Amino acid sequence: MQKKTLQDPWLFVYKKLQDNEIISRKKIQEVDDSFFEKFGSILKQVSQKAALEESTPLAPLKEEEQDGEQKTETEQLEYRSIARDSDSGHETLLDTDSEPDENEKIDRYVEAVGWNIDELYLEILYEILHNVGGCDVGYEVGQLAMLTYVQEAFKIANDKHTELLTKAEAKEPPELMLNVEVVEAKDLVPKDPNGLSDPFVTIYMMSNSSQRYNTSVKSCTLNPVWEEHFSLPMSGNVQDDSLCLEVWDFDPAETVKEKMTKIFEVKGVKGLRKLVKEIAITASTGKHDNELIGTSNIPLKSIPAGGMTMWFSLSKKSKLKRQGVVKVRLNFSSEKNSQVAAQEHRHLLRIILLHELENSKVAPYWWCGNFSTPAEAILTQHAAQSGISQLDNSLVQWSVYCAVTPDHPLSFALFNQLLDKVSKPLQSALINEEDVKIFWDGAKKLLPTCFSHIRKLRKKTAGDKTVMKTLREVLKILYKLSLLEVPYTIELFPKNLYGWLREDEGKLTINEVLNQAVIQGASDWFVHILDNNECKDNTEESRLQHLIRVIQLVRSDLQRAVEYYDRVFVEVMNYKYTKALYGLYESKIASLVEPEVLEVCKCLKRLQYNEGSTTSVHLAGGLNGETRLGGPEVSTEPLAMGTTLFELYLALQRFLLLGQGLNETEWHTYAISNFHSWFFGGVAQWLDIAAYKALTRIEKAVDLDKLVPVDSNVKYSSSGVDTLAIFYQIKIFWKQLAWPDVEGCYTFVAKIVDDICRCCVFYSDKMANRVENVGTVTTVFEERFEVTTEWCVAINNIDYVRQSLEPFVVEMGMDDIIQKMCEARSPIEAQRCKETLQNVIANAIDTVKNKIVDLLEMMVKKMMPSITRFLIEGAELLHQDCSRMDRVMRYLEANLDTLYQHLNNENFSRTLDIVWEQLGEVLYELIQANLEKRRPPSFFSNLHECLKVMIRSFRQDNKEVYTSETLKRVEYLLKLHGMETRELIHEYHLERWQDQQSITEPKMGVITVRAQFIEDNLKVEIMNARNLTPTDSNGLCDSYVRVTLHPEDSFASIVKPKTQTHNKNLFPLYDEMFLIPLTSEQRRISDGLLHFVVKDKDMFSMSNTFVGEAYLHFSEIQDTPAPIGSLPQQHLPLSKPTNLDGDAIKALETRQGDKQARDFLKKQKQKTPTKQQFFSLG
Amino acid sequence: MVEDNDRVYARTQNKSTLLKIVILGDGGVGKSCLMSRFISNHFDDHSFHTIGVEFMNKTIEVNGKQYTLQVWDTAGQERFKSLRTPFYRGSDICILAYAVDDRSSFNNIKMWLNEFLHYAGVKNGIERYPFMVVGNKSDVSSKDREVTHDQLRHWCEENKIATYIETSAKNDNNVVEAFSMAVLRWVELEQRAEKELGMLHHPDTVTLHGGSAASSFRATCCSRFSDV
Ligand SMILES: Nc1nc2c(ncn2[C@@H]2O[C@H](COP(=O)(O)OP(=O)(O)O)[C@@H](O)[C@H]2O)c(=O)[nH]1
Ligand SMILES: [Mg+2]
Repeated sequence: MQKKTLQDPWLFVYKKLQDNEIISRKKIQEVDDSFFEKFGSILKQVSQKAALEESTPLAPLKEEEQDGEQKTETEQLEYRSIARDSDSGHETLLDTDSEPDENEKIDRYVEAVGWNIDELYLEILYEILHNVGGCDVGYEVGQLAMLTYVQEAFKIANDKHTELLTKAEAKEPPELMLNVEVVEAKDLVPKDPNGLSDPFVTIYMMSNSSQRYNTSVKSCTLNPVWEEHFSLPMSGNVQDDSLCLEVWDFDPAETVKEKMTKIFEVKGVKGLRKLVKEIAITASTGKHDNELIGTSNIPLKSIPAGGMTMWFSLSKKSKLKRQGVVKVRLNFSSEKNSQVAAQEHRHLLRIILLHELENSKVAPYWWCGNFSTPAEAILTQHAAQSGISQLDNSLVQWSVYCAVTPDHPLSFALFNQLLDKVSKPLQSALINEEDVKIFWDGAKKLLPTCFSHIRKLRKKTAGDKTVMKTLREVLKILYKLSLLEVPYTIELFPKNLYGWLREDEGKLTINEVLNQAVIQGASDWFVHILDNNECKDNTEESRLQHLIRVIQLVRSDLQRAVEYYDRVFVEVMNYKYTKALYGLYESKIASLVEPEVLEVCKCLKRLQYNEGSTTSVHLAGGLNGETRLGGPEVSTEPLAMGTTLFELYLALQRFLLLGQGLNETEWHTYAISNFHSWFFGGVAQWLDIAAYKALTRIEKAVDLDKLVPVDSNVKYSSSGVDTLAIFYQIKIFWKQLAWPDVEGCYTFVAKIVDDICRCCVFYSDKMANRVENVGTVTTVFEERFEVTTEWCVAINNIDYVRQSLEPFVVEMGMDDIIQKMCEARSPIEAQRCKETLQNVIANAIDTVKNKIVDLLEMMVKKMMPSITRFLIEGAELLHQDCSRMDRVMRYLEANLDTLYQHLNNENFSRTLDIVWEQLGEVLYELIQANLEKRRPPSFFSNLHECLKVMIRSFRQDNKEVYTSETLKRVEYLLKLHGMETRELIHEYHLERWQDQQSITEPKMGVITVRAQFIEDNLKVEIMNARNLTPTDSNGLCDSYVRVTLHPEDSFASIVKPKTQTHNKNLFPLYDEMFLIPLTSEQRRISDGLLHFVVKDKDMFSMSNTFVGEAYLHFSEIQDTPAPIGSLPQQHLPLSKPTNLDGDAIKALETRQGDKQARDFLKKQKQKTPTKQQFFSLG
Repeated sequence: MVEDNDRVYARTQNKSTLLKIVILGDGGVGKSCLMSRFISNHFDDHSFHTIGVEFMNKTIEVNGKQYTLQVWDTAGQERFKSLRTPFYRGSDICILAYAVDDRSSFNNIKMWLNEFLHYAGVKNGIERYPFMVVGNKSDVSSKDREVTHDQLRHWCEENKIATYIETSAKNDNNVVEAFSMAVLRWVELEQRAEKELGMLHHPDTVTLHGGSAASSFRATCCSRFSDV
């Protein structure tokens, strides 16, 4: 288990991070103000928190709602003042469509009062008096209650009431009626300064001019359309009577406008009612200041029995010119025309409804069709007595409710109920054209309220039951209406009411308008968000904060849509509400954020280095350790980079994620889908800064490091952990970005990996500097270096950081990137990218490993002076004294033990290698230096002993010790120089024997011998010699052979055998046999040599000339009792010592004080061929 | 503790100097081919667009010294600009490449030079930084050639760049030479800088200043890819 921990350096960091230990490492973070944490784990926390907030839409809404409400009121006021100046009908703000502009308003009110109230009142009184049916409401309520109610509802003064009631009581049912529909007028002469008129029509029978009927006033038109119905009772003389028709201009300058202005001041239904009455009375009495446009007189006898529709010219006494034409439809009937009845019912219903609303004070949107009992009774009576069918009644209700709802909103459910009743008949064309038109006119009035509701959904509390129910009702209305065919003549969405609709050719369907309403609502909301969240100031920071805030608010709006509204829209209208909102928001956000981000990224200051820097480009994180950090060269100011840019990035990322969920197939068409690319420069810049900051922090971490293991389980210290924490934070940062474009992703990762590698190398350098002066012990006697745990920790730290590299790339998601690259590009390209990443890593790992070796070398080098001193001290003793050599052993042992305890195997064995390598060098130098000092052989043999002991002690691992040539050489030299002179001499002979083995073409002849051991006796047969080198002037040789046994002193007792001299012969046949008895010790000498020396017997001089020599090693001599004749002949090439620079000779040469050595050297020199030749030539 | 014993931890006998080189130039001039030719002595007619950056190692010997070159090949497209520019920092040598059969790539060299100067933070002037201009595709027939050697020489003189060469990655002409020349130029400038530093400081203290012995400070690197 523990091994695992050590293997994966990251596990530890994770653990530490979890324990919050690293977060609390304040000191390190101070150096850069927690730069990495801010962008790493803290940014992550912030973003997670933000994500959580975004997904809980209720919280931010609460305050939003308030804002919205306040806002709307002020907007309305503003709007009103704008509307006075222009009647463009242009809408910009939320709450305006329920407040239509002034002219429309007048229209609507005037429409409501455009008939003779008294006449209707009389009719109703009459009906109450002549209640039909006995078992319905009217019966229970009682006549009196109904009369009281109706008087109140109509606001009729008592005396008037009494007068009319009397009239009603006296009234007889009319026999014949003239049904008049005032359809329209054309080409009226203008009466108002604006070139228009506000026409209305008054009709009456010539015979009964006090009984006048008025249409509503149509304002500002010369071509009014009324389509209003009247039933005029006809009295007796049909032949002479005629219908009078007067078209008037209602003078708004004098009357209506002033009064209308009053309406706005006196808010509520009451004010309106007063006005209604005034106007009605004014109109009916005929005592008004209105100006007559023209009249027309239609004699009744001109009307055919079947009725007619005609255009009538208008004339005016004073004028010859035609004043315009009026279209009138006329017919006779014995009872009330159904259209008149319906119109009457509409008027009645409206008056009663307004009265009901006023009395009950029911809240907007709550009234759902329940009348008080008297009202119910009156309405039922009127319907019954006027022969209004159920369907007609529904249509009347629809028309009246629709008309009222803009000013006093009624329950949407009510409309749905009515729609259910009329939809079928409408679809199956059971309703006449005129009623269809009335129906759609009603719908036209209702629809703005519906769309307004949708547009202003945000003002309601999301999720509230009533709100949701209302929404569902609204959508149902829209759905039902959308199923009906709109007559061609109806312009359902007039521009003046739907200023927010986009200009579009062709007629819009309800679905299209719904979509636009939704989008408009969102669009307004977006404006609202922007207006309510202005930047505090123009700093980059507040601009970015602002954008984040905007995204969050939009986000929470979408979240509300997802959680509450979407389902309703889909269920009722099959309309993807959230998706529509998203489509709008994303483009708005994109066009808002993109330029800002690009600007911010563009303005990010790059790292600037001052001129003074000695190194041209080895800046932040050059692999060369030359970076100057913390110095004045780099000002800290441009490095202050806020996290806000990336908070914005993450906000956008989450925003896009939502879009991907909403639109799985086409999200990439969103402008925002490419949002990451706006941040390109920003990320690159961040990496640049991060690289620099990382180095700064590493330097600080190393400074603060006490080089004590952070934990009893591990062998590295704080700066190692700190460094990995930096990497970890960079990784967190990168992971959060989740860069979507694979090529960019790869390149960024390559950059990050490269930077991390640089950090790693930089860390190694700093760590090396940190321990450089640790471990020196100074006492009065000496200055000594001891390997301390600090050194080990430093080495382990570097190794620890180094080991994190490979997992780091994996954690950066290399495999994933490569996989994606495979898909997006090609496997070959992916492979190349992979290789690049691996190369970068491998490169860094190697470099860091070398750094470790450098450090180990530095450490071992520090040990060497002490080792050298101990070695000299130990070797100087003439008599081997183990306790003296112990000092060096103890020193090595202690230090190596520390290393063994704290380093891992790899580094430990690396250290050993280095120790041996350097020991070799030290010893070599020691040998050279001490040879010059003419140290005795014991000095070297002591060293040699010591070396052997060291090898025994520290190389139990069976590893080949002498891997280094130096050490091999050192060992040999020590052996050599440690020898006694005689040993050296023998060594020389052995070298000669060695040399002899390599002679393939003998140049000085060959000597043939046989030799054998018989028990302890040596038997030698010298048979012959061939091709001897001539030594005499005659070109021949007088040769003999002498046999010597080496080492000479071991065989001192033995007489050296010698053959006869064979004169003048270069191919002498000696054929002599010698038996040399040996002691058993002599026989057992393993390196014993037989030395054959061929000499030329010189007659004239005292000394004989050396011809050549050959050796036979004891190992080459068979131990056999067989007769010597049966053994193979041995042909030994003769040679002379060619050069005297063999190691043994050199070693002997250093012993000038030693006579034996001197003599030997002298003798050998005589043998060298050069000298020989020189002499002979001389 | 399990260690990665499988990788023999070899130390190169001669420590080699590590140099980072970036190759810049328009897309299609043959940067990637130059790198492949140099690193693996291989030429592929159907080379791929470089994605972002590519990185390879190669150890070469120049004047008896070992240099490990870390070659960064970059993608020329504008959209990679923000991505490639961070790689400029810390580079020791910059190779500006164009194709002799493409006039506009030659005209753009100036732009690349400026981009590098800006992002690498070269402060001491062009003359103090080892730039190398390489006119690739020298193998094209003379009728296809749009930039003459004279024009190259002229341009370099004008822009104070001392080293330039025409190469062919296709025919393996002058490729190794180009890299060696760049290294030599680096050595030359480094020595000059050392000398100047030496004059600034007392001779005895020279070794104490990091910059004066830049090469000895340089990290060494196993030539693990040198046998490629
Ligand atoms: N004739 C010729 N073509 C070359 C040479 N070097 C590269 N090319 C071609 O030029 C094209 C682009 O090469 P590439 O290395 O991808 O250019 P890069 O975008 O600068 O990396 C490839 O089709 C190569 O085959 C060259 O020395 N001579
Ligand atoms: Mg390329």
